[in-house]
Amino acid sequence: MSEIRYKGPYRVRETLVEAHRLAWRRIAEPGAWLEGERRVAVAAEVRAAEDCALCRERKEALSPFAVEGEHAATDRMSAVEVELIHRLTTDPGRLSQAWAEGILAAGVTEEVYVEIVSIVCIVMIVDTFRRSLDLPPFDLPVPAAGEPSRYRAPGARRHDAWISLVQPEDVVESDGDLYGPTASPVVKAFSLVPRAKRDYWDLAEEHYLPGSEMTNFATGVRAIDRMQMELVAGRVSALHQCVY
Amino acid sequence: MLRASTEVSGAEFDLNAVNGSVAGDGGIEGGTLLHAFAEAVTLRDAARTASLRDALVDKLGEAAMIDAAAIAAAFHGFVRLADATGTPAAGAAGGQVTMEFRESLGINDFHGARNA
Repeated sequence: MSEIRYKGPYRVRETLVEAHRLAWRRIAEPGAWLEGERRVAVAAEVRAAEDCALCRERKEALSPFAVEGEHAATDRMSAVEVELIHRLTTDPGRLSQAWAEGILAAGVTEEVYVEIVSIVCIVMIVDTFRRSLDLPPFDLPVPAAGEPSRYRAPGARRHDAWISLVQPEDVVESDGDLYGPTASPVVKAFSLVPRAKRDYWDLAEEHYLPGSEMTNFATGVRAIDRMQMELVAGRVSALHQCVY
Repeated sequence: MLRASTEVSGAEFDLNAVNGSVAGDGGIEGGTLLHAFAEAVTLRDAARTASLRDALVDKLGEAAMIDAAAIAAAFHGFVRLADATGTPAAGAAGGQVTMEFRESLGINDFHGARNA
């Protein structure tokens, strides 16, 4: 297992360091639909996307579909999985439902789609944090052996998102700790694969806010107040052209 | 969320700041620095990020800079979660985001508005 430590001029709170350790350990473990080796390969592909010439050209093009070519990939994932990972990593603001349906039609199941997207998001969070402190990215973890659980939440259905999700009233005991009687759309987004949902939110809440504090606009759990937090969040979202 | 937090605090803040169209702190302590830091991190401007890190530590303290970096990083995940799953914008911020509000901030000009 690679070592997750923070050495440098800044003191990173220990809860954040521990969240990074947990996230990295979970990437290496078998997931719900991907083996540890494939999960680490997703993380490697996120980093490969950063240096992909096709992604750069598409990002600069008026339409990403106007530029054809091959991604500079690690050859550890299928071509359609590479397209999913690279586009999501480098140009998320211009994804469309037609594009997502194309990924699914090309053979990526909804479950694998959700698990891959959750890993991409996790790696983006950790790598961006490291970069923001001028620290090199962590080495990727060594994959652990074992079989995926192949658990799909039985209550998952298509609602108003592109991917099936679980409404609070459809949560069952075998889903484990998913959410309470209400949940916002972003919290439900990965619920088709409860493990992916928990992996993502355990990290995201430590970076942003615990779920119990989301609607507390006078929260004092971080060293900046809620307005300061939301200013940072809003600016990052706007630069990504994120409608949500 | 920014709108709700400003309402709770009583601060007067122009929400257009998230689109970079307002100058000044706008009633948020360190607002200009935080805004610029979020931008530098997202645009991967290493030199600007470094100088703003120092400025934030001087102005708000090291822990504040770390939390600003943590939140900027978190939203590199949140935007991808929402964009990849087609999470409906109608439910954002407890359903407070109306079409008029989106229009006022220029959000309807984003590419993804066609999906929302």
